[in-house]
Amino acid sequence: MIAEPPSALRCTSISVRYGDFAALTDVSVAFAPRLIHAVVGQNGAGKTTFARVVAGIVRPVSGTLEIDDREIAAGHVNRSRAAGVELVHQSFALPPSFTVAETMEFGARRGRPIFTRRELEARWARHLENLGVQARLSDRIRDLPVESQQGVEIARALVADARLLILDEPTAVLSPKGVETLFQRLRALKASGVTILLVLHKIREVLAVADTVTVLRGGRLVKGPVAASSVNARELSAAIIGAEAEQSLTVRDEEALIGSDLPAEARTVVASKGSAPAILVADRISTRPDPEGPALGEVSLAIASGEIVGVAGVEGNGQRTLVRALTGLAEIESGRIRLNDEDVAGFSTGERRARGLRVIPFERNSEGLSLLSSLWENWSARQLLQGSPLKFISPARFRAECDSALKRWDVRYSTTLQPAGALSGGNAQKLILAREVDRDAKLVIAAQPTRGLDVGATAFVWRSLRDATARGCGVLLISSDLDELFDISDRLVVMLSGRIAAEFEPPFHLSEVGAAMTGAR
Amino acid sequence: MQGNLAAVGRALAFVLLALALCGVLFQLAGYSAIEMFESIADGAFLNPNAWQGSLRWAMPLFITACGVVVSFRSGYFNVGAQGQFYMGAIGATFVVDFLNGYPAALVVPLAFVAAIACGALWVAWPGYLRVASGADEVITTLMGNFIASLILIYVTGGILKDPSGTGQVMASRPVAEAYRISSETGLSPAIVGITVAVGVLTWVLVNRTAFGVLSGLAGRNPTMVVWQGARMSQLGLGAFALSGALAGLAGVIEVLGPNGRLVSGFLPTHGFTAILIALVAGLSVAGAAVVSLFFGGLAAASLYLPVLAGLPAAAIDIINAAIALFITARAAPGLKWLLPRRRAVGGG
Repeated sequence: MIAEPPSALRCTSISVRYGDFAALTDVSVAFAPRLIHAVVGQNGAGKTTFARVVAGIVRPVSGTLEIDDREIAAGHVNRSRAAGVELVHQSFALPPSFTVAETMEFGARRGRPIFTRRELEARWARHLENLGVQARLSDRIRDLPVESQQGVEIARALVADARLLILDEPTAVLSPKGVETLFQRLRALKASGVTILLVLHKIREVLAVADTVTVLRGGRLVKGPVAASSVNARELSAAIIGAEAEQSLTVRDEEALIGSDLPAEARTVVASKGSAPAILVADRISTRPDPEGPALGEVSLAIASGEIVGVAGVEGNGQRTLVRALTGLAEIESGRIRLNDEDVAGFSTGERRARGLRVIPFERNSEGLSLLSSLWENWSARQLLQGSPLKFISPARFRAECDSALKRWDVRYSTTLQPAGALSGGNAQKLILAREVDRDAKLVIAAQPTRGLDVGATAFVWRSLRDATARGCGVLLISSDLDELFDISDRLVVMLSGRIAAEFEPPFHLSEVGAAMTGAR
Repeated sequence: MQGNLAAVGRALAFVLLALALCGVLFQLAGYSAIEMFESIADGAFLNPNAWQGSLRWAMPLFITACGVVVSFRSGYFNVGAQGQFYMGAIGATFVVDFLNGYPAALVVPLAFVAAIACGALWVAWPGYLRVASGADEVITTLMGNFIASLILIYVTGGILKDPSGTGQVMASRPVAEAYRISSETGLSPAIVGITVAVGVLTWVLVNRTAFGVLSGLAGRNPTMVVWQGARMSQLGLGAFALSGALAGLAGVIEVLGPNGRLVSGFLPTHGFTAILIALVAGLSVAGAAVVSLFFGGLAAASLYLPVLAGLPAAAIDIINAAIALFITARAAPGLKWLLPRRRAVGGG
């Protein structure tokens, strides 16, 4: 037998199934120690599942796992941690009410059962300092900005001599500046001997930081690991998207989907739509802070008919409050909101909707749909709210209308009586689109409309929003994906701390927008 | 619809399990389980006159249960049906007592209006506290039951007290014969007509109006209907008021119908049995009609138990409690889908 080179992690024939769904199929891959390895693929390619298998959170139906050339039992978090594997989750999994010091102690394997707060803080101060994480040990997690939270999460993962650190989509919540800080931190960790497995979907970021690249598609290994220096963005994008899907996408959309780094200047400049009538004019609207987000400070915004205005910003800078204020779910303290030349500031959500306002909410599964209710009930909700609640309805008619609407929107379902929770993420979003992007829509507020969707569904959402503008609709698009914003926005505003920090016309430049997002301008 | 009936069938299977458990318990306590079941079956359904008894108890229970269905479907857990039932009965008794002698065509409709209004008002304050400040309606409506019980004792021992009464049972003066809507049997065209009308109207409301669909959505996910532009306060107050009004309606039917007077502490489990019926029926109106007959039968059988099986009538309470226990255990995951609004809305 030929002696194989040492590997930090070796997976052999790993398969994972969720019910009928094969999340990973026969994945065999080995990663060399003390390098940064990127695992890339679209949403739903199995990247997160792969990370969770290595961390012991998900038990594969078959396959073996070796850490540092020693086999460990798969599916046990404790065994994986004992072998030195730590996972930094995509959505942070830190307890919000803990202080930073308590979080560290919670992750540590040794520790005395009784301690004082001061002792804890003394114990972990050095640890954070070494990692360059700037956070006071007595601060509570929920009070930290996202970038510090991620630093703390990484520090938490490293309290117990991690040898293999896995980060699942760590850049999703970061500003471009934050991404650079993260990458520096990762390079420092690599130098100190840690092997890093980075789950990403943006090619630009992969090529900037990774030593090797591994591509997953549809739960299968399609490429790698290969040296990052030996591949270019185009090859990678073909491997990630797959030849078939690639044909149905425009070049521009494809670039936006995978974040490949072509010069932004080369993109077409859309003709100015300044002469079109304004659909929405928000004039210096301010709100009070509430539990759901920071206050708005004199936000002014105008959206013309046929225009897509993008809202960029690090999450938690008032985007949610903006949507709630425009929708009528958050009270405004001062300022005016005009919808189609009508002052709607004093109007309820229902009254604004009756005037053509439509919303694709942030949280598909809680704000957008009632998962336990049937498809037709979810689909009819908006229409049912027009007019008297005591008016008679014919469920059969609504079911028939829902049926034809959902077919038109290419939703995959078996019957309109099935609960909305049985739909996949992409189909659930299409159901919401079918409800919100109707003929009477004048202004569509789309909040994170493509989060968690696969390439096909994402492209579908973009096409739907563009079609809506072609009918004269205005669109306000809130997204944390800059590639998406750059691709489909006609104009871009950046929110920072509840204010509009900057406004951009195309061509958009990543460096300028990124600087505005962090207030570095 | 078929799904609903299947759910009712499953729930009834749990009811049978509860009965089996009670059989074992009574057997161990030295009674004959066989005789007990025989007398229940006899008293509830098999005896030639049993159906009348079952129907007499089933109809007011069904009316109250319809209200419970509407409020629970909307995600508002009005568990104060008992108190609203009492307040309805009290309101009706005030009307017939103070307007005694006026023509029935005036007094009887007024008594109904008063009962419905009192029932609705008795849930209005917990409803208002719920939508205005988020006060948990389970607590407030439950507390309302105790207050209503004490008001019942107060009025039957005071302002409405029958001076010729024995003093052992506090009760109002008997309702004048002209105002009665049925004899002691509790069966009359008026009561049957009202019950059928309530059933049909509630079914239409739940299944054929915008309110019905929207309240079903709101019960499962209030956040979603708020984003759709619904005012939860309106939906909620509507559902609350209707459930209180129907419990009040059951109250006037008992007073002007089979009871014939307002007795302190009468039918102390009426409202809770109605909640049980709504839950066993899976919050469906049609299901509630079937399940009401079953529980009406149990109530009727409680009169037979002492005679036939030598069991105390309280045995029926034990059976009801066992059913409640089993249904709650079964519905625990089922109740979870009704409860998401109690979780904080997560920030994006």
